Amino acid sequence: MLDGVRNTAGVLRVLLAAIPIVALTLAVPFVNRVEPRFFGLPFLLSWILVWSLLTPGFLWMIGRMERRW
Amino acid sequence: MSGTTTALAIVGLVVFGTIGFALFGVGRIKMDPAQYIVGGRSFGTIFLWVLLAGEIYTTFTFLGIAGLSYSQGAPAFYAIAYGASAYVIGYFLAPAIWRVAKDHDLLTGPDFFETRYGSRVLGVGVALLMFVMVIPYVALQLSGLQILLHIAGYGAYDTTAAVCIAFIVLAFFVFTAGLRGTAWASVVKDIFVLGAVTFAGIAIPVHFFGSPSAMLDRLLATHPQMLLLPASTAFHGTSWYVSTVLLSAIGFYMGPHSWSAVYSARSGDTLRRNAMLLPLYQTFLALMIIAGLAAALIHPGLKGTAVDQSFLLVVAQYYPPWVLGLIAGAGALAALVPASALLLAGASVITKNVAGDAFGFATSDTSRTLLTRVLVIVVALLALGVWLAAQKTVVELLLLYYNGVTQFAPGAAAAFLYRRATAAAVGAGIAVGLAVAIPLAAFNVSPWGINAGFLALIANVLVLLAVSLRSPTSRTMP
Repeated sequence: MLDGVRNTAGVLRVLLAAIPIVALTLAVPFVNRVEPRFFGLPFLLSWILVWSLLTPGFLWMIGRMERRW
Repeated sequence: MSGTTTALAIVGLVVFGTIGFALFGVGRIKMDPAQYIVGGRSFGTIFLWVLLAGEIYTTFTFLGIAGLSYSQGAPAFYAIAYGASAYVIGYFLAPAIWRVAKDHDLLTGPDFFETRYGSRVLGVGVALLMFVMVIPYVALQLSGLQILLHIAGYGAYDTTAAVCIAFIVLAFFVFTAGLRGTAWASVVKDIFVLGAVTFAGIAIPVHFFGSPSAMLDRLLATHPQMLLLPASTAFHGTSWYVSTVLLSAIGFYMGPHSWSAVYSARSGDTLRRNAMLLPLYQTFLALMIIAGLAAALIHPGLKGTAVDQSFLLVVAQYYPPWVLGLIAGAGALAALVPASALLLAGASVITKNVAGDAFGFATSDTSRTLLTRVLVIVVALLALGVWLAAQKTVVELLLLYYNGVTQFAPGAAAAFLYRRATAAAVGAGIAVGLAVAIPLAAFNVSPWGINAGFLALIANVLVLLAVSLRSPTSRTMP
């Protein structure tokens, strides 16, 4: 829940959640390149795909910290 | 049977087979309003997965993302990024909303605003806005369906009548089966769509170029700029990309039908588990992007709205009719299944918030289910009428949907984050947000390359804060 933001653990969880969002938005102008390519994909597309695949990992960690699974 | 009818017959089989399967899946359940509108708040991880995923794979995905990557390349990557970002927000927001809905037996999105801000006027206002937004969005799905049927018939038939028949059958399906029917239909839809997307993104590049990687080599040699975003303030440049991903992510759970999907969850943890897993599903969109890029090499030269047909034309031209039939069938489900959820959401906000709350009409369980069912048919006919009468204006009306639903997000978030927020502040925020977004979008203005909807969202938040600070009292927090 959002009211969990009011303590240190809450702040840590929100920071963890912010990492993939920042990587997929604000960071993108800095990775707007074709090289190096991974599996033939341009770097920009690889970056977006890898961060989308990492997002569940971040949410899993947040869920663990909240002892939900 | 000639080639032109084979593909269309397969599309028909896929669509009506799915509806039959879903009716069988729902079985004979007693439909009280909570069962009919939000599935009795009983959906577990799989059902919720397919329902929420229904919003990812609409005809926009099927035709629009491939079309965007066909015509412009890299800007289409935003579709992958916004989904993952949306689920991070949804991990926190959706269970919080679900808790309020469960505690207060809420049925619709507007109910949430009415309950949290203690204002019937706000609830009814949000309901009317949501209703107005649903109609063009349904009409858009009909346009998508028509493109699919047109290609599946190899251009030999006028498919308007077929679109009308399919859609009226769909409306009666929603009349009978409610949200549970949509969820069962989504199960079939997802299987077909994943198959079609995999075919489009892997089989097509392998067939023509040897591998997706070889296709990209060719694209880089011939169109070196296509796999990069344009400079920051340019059309579809990096500023557009960042603002559009944020805007779409923030608005993701705000569609009228998304509220119903959130309410239908069995528990808050079901929603959290979904939010954790759905970004994986989103990565399949990369295959649609590959398909669009491949089509740009195989079948270049499409302009304007014709780009949306890109990869389907490749399938129609180079593959047998049964392949085209299955792909177009998947696309037809991607149009009809989300449309079914939208019909239900449009009908339920009018039944509950306008007829029930504002006029005290049809408030018993039996009459409420009945009225929602009747309104499903009415909304369907209305959307059909709008689509038949004004196909061009539909695109303009859609701006209201895309820029509009996101304007509900600040009020939804402030319900949990900002104690001083009041009904008047949320309402003023929505009004100003719409007043900024719609003219900018209608005249296609994007200041500094930023998506107009995003600027409207900022205006919305500022107005919400300013009006709240001027009001004396504060609410109790949930």
